[in-house]
Amino acid sequence: MGEEVAIAQAAWKLLLRPVRLLPDVLESDVLARCPSCHNTFSTERTGRQICPVCGKPLVVPEPPAASATAPTAELVSEPQGTPWERRGELGFWAGWGQTVQQALLEPGRLFASARLDRGGAQLGFAVLTSSVFWAIGQILERLLLRGQTDRMRQLLAAASRNPDVAPMLQRMLDVQSRASSPGAVLALAALTPVFTFVMLYLNAGVTHAVAAVLGQAKRGFPATFAACAYASAPLVLLAVPACGSIVGVIWLIVLTGIGMKVTHRISTGGAAASVLVPYLVLCCLTFLAMGALAMALRNAVGQP
Amino acid sequence: MRIARAGPPSIHAAGFAGVAALLLLVAAALPIDAPLLALFACPFRTATSWPCLGCGLTHAFQFTVRGQIGAAVSASPLGTLLAIAGAAHAGWTALRFAGVPYAPAIVAGARTRWACLLALAANWIFVALRTRP
Repeated sequence: MGEEVAIAQAAWKLLLRPVRLLPDVLESDVLARCPSCHNTFSTERTGRQICPVCGKPLVVPEPPAASATAPTAELVSEPQGTPWERRGELGFWAGWGQTVQQALLEPGRLFASARLDRGGAQLGFAVLTSSVFWAIGQILERLLLRGQTDRMRQLLAAASRNPDVAPMLQRMLDVQSRASSPGAVLALAALTPVFTFVMLYLNAGVTHAVAAVLGQAKRGFPATFAACAYASAPLVLLAVPACGSIVGVIWLIVLTGIGMKVTHRISTGGAAASVLVPYLVLCCLTFLAMGALAMALRNAVGQP
Repeated sequence: MRIARAGPPSIHAAGFAGVAALLLLVAAALPIDAPLLALFACPFRTATSWPCLGCGLTHAFQFTVRGQIGAAVSASPLGTLLAIAGAAHAGWTALRFAGVPYAPAIVAGARTRWACLLALAANWIFVALRTRP
């Protein structure tokens, strides 16, 4: 015996007609939410069927007018979409700007309006926002902090003339010189969309895995992905040299937590745990370069 | 897990397939045991002498992509599984783009969650015991 599920008209159809009881015969696809896996799917008929997501049996109820004994159906109203998801009507720049503004100032509203079937748009927003500002930040950092970098290079070069210094330092200097060349900076900037694409999926995958293990992934991976994608809006701060990246990443973590809470409709504690546990694991990677640099410097100055 | 009929892969299935393929390519190309990359060490292990949950993943990917499964399992059994699953997912997604109408359907129930936690803990214990001086 399958469980009954919620039923509702698709959101775009709801926008076109006043609220009323569903007709006896389904005119076209309706949205139903599976009581087992809580995923929403589209169906053309009522009655007993198999959830296309989890494969468990369920019953899509008859419309209320046709069945007086049907339980109260939960209305599944899809949100209208974020400004970025509606950029077709708002315009590209207005859609992007309003999405960033909402993410920074009204994140709850933004995440509540995100549509889970717009993964492509969300991916595009995150990759565009992160990679463009990351690339700008890299170029600005090379230009503005060139003097500081040169001074550090001179310092390391002076240290490397010490015969006791490990030859590794000299190799680091060579690599650093090559990486600072304009060609290398431009090549790195051009590769940022690939880096952001990989990092976005890794972040969303790890966050979702932790949320699933903790039993907090109530609405599937698209909800986690929407949270992670729109949470990348503060990465516009990557364009600010030096401190921008630190502030941007901390803001991103906070926004991911808010996004998980809203898109999965879970508690604040559950959202916080889902978001922060991966960082406990990933902190190793985050501080990898710092640890390596510290070890290299320790070797360079000849301490045991 | 069961194999069910499915349409073309979703954007996220395709995205994960792309990421898996990229990571495996990078693992194949990067000489992680040669300088300068060999300089990078897990700061958690450096500070505590205990491995973190992710220790061994990079080597597991590197050995798996070179077909050295024994060495990969020795580095991180879970990392080896992850690399193989990533390769399988990338391959299957390519087949789905080519028209294969089937896909594995995974339902994560309470048992699956506990199994994941136990696997993570067992993997960490294995890596910790193997790398303990």
